[in-house]
Amino acid sequence: MAFLIRTIATAKSGRKIVRDRTVESDELVVGRSPDSDIHLPDLSVDLTHVGISRAAGGLVNVSALGTLPFELDGQKVEAGTIDPVQGGVVAVGSTLLTVSSGDDDGKIQIVIEQVDKAAATTEPVAGFALASAMPSKRTMAWIGSVAILVLLLSIPVLTHLFRAPVEQDQDNLPHDQVALDSTWSTGELSMAHHELEGSCEACHVTPFVSVQDETCLTCHEDIADHADMPRQAMGMPAMSSGDAIQWSIAETLGKEGPLGCVACHTEHEGPVELEAANQQFCADCHNGLDARLTDVSFGNASDFGEQHPQFRPRIYTAHFADEPVHVSLDDNPVEMSGLIFPHDIHMDDMGGVARMAISLGQYGAPLECSDCHQEWTSEELIIKVSEEGGKPSFYGDFAAVDMEESCEACHSLVSGRVGDSFTSIRHGDVVEAMEDFARVDRGPRRPVVSGRARPGQFARGGTYYSNFGRPMSGYIAVNRAIQPGGLCTECHIPTTSEGRADLTPVNLPNRFLFGGYFTHDAHGEDVAECTDCHAADTSAEATDLLIPTLESCRDCHLGESAVETETIVPSGCAMCHGYHTPTAPWRPEDHPDLPGNGGNDTVAAILGSLRR
Amino acid sequence: MATVTDHDRLARAESRRNADHVSFLKHKRYRWLWIALALAVVSTLGYLFIDQEPRPNGGSWYGYTLGTIGLGLIVWLSLLGLRKRKISEGRWSLKAWTSAHVYLGIALIVVGTLHTGFQIGWNVHTLAYVLMLLVIFSGIYGIYVYAKLPTTLSEGRNQKTRGDMLDEIAVTDRQLDSAAQPLEREQADLVIAALRQDIFHGGVFNRLFNSYPGCKTKRALGGFSEHGEQAEERVYRLLFQRSEQLDQIRRNLRTKALLEVWLFIHIPATIALLAALLAHVISVFYYW
Repeated sequence: MAFLIRTIATAKSGRKIVRDRTVESDELVVGRSPDSDIHLPDLSVDLTHVGISRAAGGLVNVSALGTLPFELDGQKVEAGTIDPVQGGVVAVGSTLLTVSSGDDDGKIQIVIEQVDKAAATTEPVAGFALASAMPSKRTMAWIGSVAILVLLLSIPVLTHLFRAPVEQDQDNLPHDQVALDSTWSTGELSMAHHELEGSCEACHVTPFVSVQDETCLTCHEDIADHADMPRQAMGMPAMSSGDAIQWSIAETLGKEGPLGCVACHTEHEGPVELEAANQQFCADCHNGLDARLTDVSFGNASDFGEQHPQFRPRIYTAHFADEPVHVSLDDNPVEMSGLIFPHDIHMDDMGGVARMAISLGQYGAPLECSDCHQEWTSEELIIKVSEEGGKPSFYGDFAAVDMEESCEACHSLVSGRVGDSFTSIRHGDVVEAMEDFARVDRGPRRPVVSGRARPGQFARGGTYYSNFGRPMSGYIAVNRAIQPGGLCTECHIPTTSEGRADLTPVNLPNRFLFGGYFTHDAHGEDVAECTDCHAADTSAEATDLLIPTLESCRDCHLGESAVETETIVPSGCAMCHGYHTPTAPWRPEDHPDLPGNGGNDTVAAILGSLRR
Repeated sequence: MATVTDHDRLARAESRRNADHVSFLKHKRYRWLWIALALAVVSTLGYLFIDQEPRPNGGSWYGYTLGTIGLGLIVWLSLLGLRKRKISEGRWSLKAWTSAHVYLGIALIVVGTLHTGFQIGWNVHTLAYVLMLLVIFSGIYGIYVYAKLPTTLSEGRNQKTRGDMLDEIAVTDRQLDSAAQPLEREQADLVIAALRQDIFHGGVFNRLFNSYPGCKTKRALGGFSEHGEQAEERVYRLLFQRSEQLDQIRRNLRTKALLEVWLFIHIPATIALLAALLAHVISVFYYW
């Protein structure tokens, strides 16, 4: 019994070299060991890998001799049988052993062939280039740029274009209608607009159209323009050429110009509070304004300490005037309030008024300003505002002096006594007062029936006595009261209207200064006495206007760049003036508790402050 | 006259020859360095002294100016990729172009940063800025390694070409294959693993840090004793030799990776930057 072993090798030229040998044995060992019957110098082959033996019936048994299996007709097995007539292929390592019945006399033929190794696909040296270990630059570039263009551009644009626009309404803000547009935000919104975060389309309504004033005014409907827009434009100084170019381009593209809301109210600068404009912002226009707006009634202003017009309170300069008028304190204004009132007499600690006040339990001491001038209580102010309208600040800090409250303790209007209570003349209306005077029953009247006395309690002095005579003395009292030297004319100026004696009406404004905002709260007793600013203690006439002058304010208040000391307060324009609300503080009254400004420590902020 | 012309021509040829050996960094006595420096200084002075209300910002007129300059520079700088494929001489020679590319690119750090007004956030605008910095700094790194590393590359090769190195390993592999024939299964498997592993096994980080924890040759070495039987000792020596040869190749790979890696950042980041710039500009005016 023998095996015919045929080895087929392929020369480099491609020619096949066939060698045959015969092994006279019933059993063959295939392995890497040189002792093997079929020696395969292949490291993946065991030293003794497969045994091939003849079996009964002309079959061939193939079995693994070690732990490694082999392949029989493509199946990984540890043992198998081959019918040589049909043939079979045993694969060991990279070698194929084809077993078949041989051509001659019952020898089993085993053909040995090497499986071709796959040729290397790349030029070996190319492996040195880093490109062989990296994704290609082109691939990376495509992935990166397509991701950016899809996520950061196309998605926001498409979702913005195909959203269902919402009616502008601050109570019904559109939220997150536009996907991924938060990646477009250049910074957080200001504190006041924090709720709009994520609602970009609430302000950025139309693509490529800048935020319009109209959109701002949807919510800020009550905001007033600083002045008439065309006049503001005229009042502005010439722009730098850079600004001029930018605005001419921007306005061509639909931006609303340097007087639009967003020109000053820039957004996306971080969670900051609205800040008061600095002095320079105001001075840009108000310094030299008279040259650009020749018809303005007020003077130039650039720095409270150096250039600011004199105060021009609104006062009544004539009796019976309908409206108060602006008068500069430099023009020695005379206030025609219709009253006679010497402050000095009332405020003299050693005078008769002081003695009188000391003797009255109500005062118990010489008069003080606050005995007559009291700040509004909030209830009073609410009533006042509800009755007369306007903003609370319009009514100033102090309530109107009330005659009955403040004067009557001394200047009594009591007209008689009924039982335990007193009657008094009504104050405030001449007709009413005259009616009350007419009722005053002082002098004896002529009896209606002479010669007879009424009996008992109906007699004069009795409980039910009634005098039906003409009240001559009452008429006299009325006439006397409103004539010079009479009761009313202690404080009021007598006059005649429509042929009758009358009193000049009292004209006292609620508030004197309207172009700015002043609060007494900030000037409390620890700062100044009333008389430090209001020269009431030396004023002998009611025609003296006791509004302090600009110069007296400058005792403490100088411009924004002044050096702060114990007495000097650097004062920018916004301390007294609002931009949109000239008669109110710049900080809106409905946001008094706005938190402080955010961090001011960014590089740009520091650079900005250095430059200033 | 003829001599003068000849003289001129000679002088020109001479200066041409000299110019050929001048680095693009020193081109025309650093002409582009001075131009770039002037651009950076002027931009900075403008930023410091032109008052932008309420604060410096990409949306002020100065901000738009810097942004426009920056955009123009970026587009022009990225055109080097196209320009370098066309060869020309003279004023707009590739060397002049490269010199300008490098210096203006560096000046772009100043222009771009000032354009941001130092307002940085998680948004498409800062993405563009960061990509720009990535491109510029990878470029600066590229110049540095191009100046430093090529000598290392040739020194490390010991006069051998890369093909030589691969051939050496191939010889060792054949020797190993035959030397390992008598080995038992376990050791034979170690050798097979070593032989079958790609010589260039490992990713970019393995190359950059020259660290190959998965190296099968090193692992196979651990399975053999220097003083074992004859066959084992022989295989050990061959594995050790293979390991040395691999080290040499890998040192070369490292140098080459250090030399080339910046381009794999510089180029894709440039394209991504152009995309981000497009998104930046469109988004700014879309939500104007």
